[in-house]
Amino acid sequence: MSGSVAGNGVVKVAPRVAMQFDQADRVYEPRRELGIRYHVEGIEPEVVRAIERSMLWYTEGKGEEDLGVHFFERIEDAAKLAQASPTGSFMVALPSSPLSYEGVVVKVRWCVRVRLFFGGGRDFVSEHVFDLGSVPPARGPLGRLE
Amino acid sequence: MNANAGVMAAADMFVGNPFSTRHTRPGAIPPLDSAGRPVDVAALCAQLAFKGGSAAIVGAHGSGKTTLLEALAREFERAGIPAGRVRLRARRDAVQVLRAILCSPAGAVLCVDSWERMVPVAAGLVRLVARAVGCNLLVTTHRPTALPTLVVCATTPRLLAAIVDRLPGLEQRGGEVIADVDIEAAFRNHAGNIRESLYELYDRFEDRTRRPPVRL
Repeated sequence: MSGSVAGNGVVKVAPRVAMQFDQADRVYEPRRELGIRYHVEGIEPEVVRAIERSMLWYTEGKGEEDLGVHFFERIEDAAKLAQASPTGSFMVALPSSPLSYEGVVVKVRWCVRVRLFFGGGRDFVSEHVFDLGSVPPARGPLGRLE
Repeated sequence: MNANAGVMAAADMFVGNPFSTRHTRPGAIPPLDSAGRPVDVAALCAQLAFKGGSAAIVGAHGSGKTTLLEALAREFERAGIPAGRVRLRARRDAVQVLRAILCSPAGAVLCVDSWERMVPVAAGLVRLVARAVGCNLLVTTHRPTALPTLVVCATTPRLLAAIVDRLPGLEQRGGEVIADVDIEAAFRNHAGNIRESLYELYDRFEDRTRRPPVRL
């Protein structure tokens, strides 16, 4: 992706965050460590004012939603920011629950998020899903609506 | 970068049901009019000022009132105007509205969802207090109220189709899972209630993606 920042510091093209998990299939056993390496593309590193790296779970379905933040880190300090963008890595010890679940009415998903903050109150979130545990997906209501 | 979105999300691949709440809740999709075109939120803010600062968004269940209310609240915040939010779930929540008004700085806008749950006496009292402290009210309601009507939300199959077009992940499937006929049926089955129509499409998506693909 080519350069994307105008002279006034406004980000004109959305960045892209390439994320590499240390487990290729992105399926992790509870209580083990998860390693992440990411690379921000499409912007000049100096336009990033802060970066937030987090790991969280959320529910997905119809109706009310829930989420829990397992790991959160905000980096603003210039020296630390240089080590966190455009390329950075971190490791997080995973909890024992909630396990990822692909239900019909509700799903539980885990993800790693990298959020970039720019001048003018702009930001950009990149979210990358992984599985905690190996719970089989629900089979579903076959033909219920047909 | 979309200046109106505030936050852009990106992922290396789409996972999940495009019709789940996280993709369809107020704020996730910009407000659209009954023809499926984006609503000019800034122009509505200007109209609100013309109407004295307080007004109502009127419409039936699932017609996009809360989505529009949230978009207007964000527009106020972008303009530096404090915008509070209260959702009435029961009549006793009128106390929360009063508390929010009394805590608001002069010139703020309090966005109240489901104003029809307020009993008339409480609604009158809230309006009086809001006027006294200089707090503007923007409310959603099923029927016209004593507040001037800012906009009437209406739904059409075209609006539902435009919303579906904006959901993530469906383009990866090239319209194979949810077809136009499903959208029209969902709209018809729920008498134009967009929220319920999206719930039906959620179920249909689950149903069709959890079994061997069929020719639709």
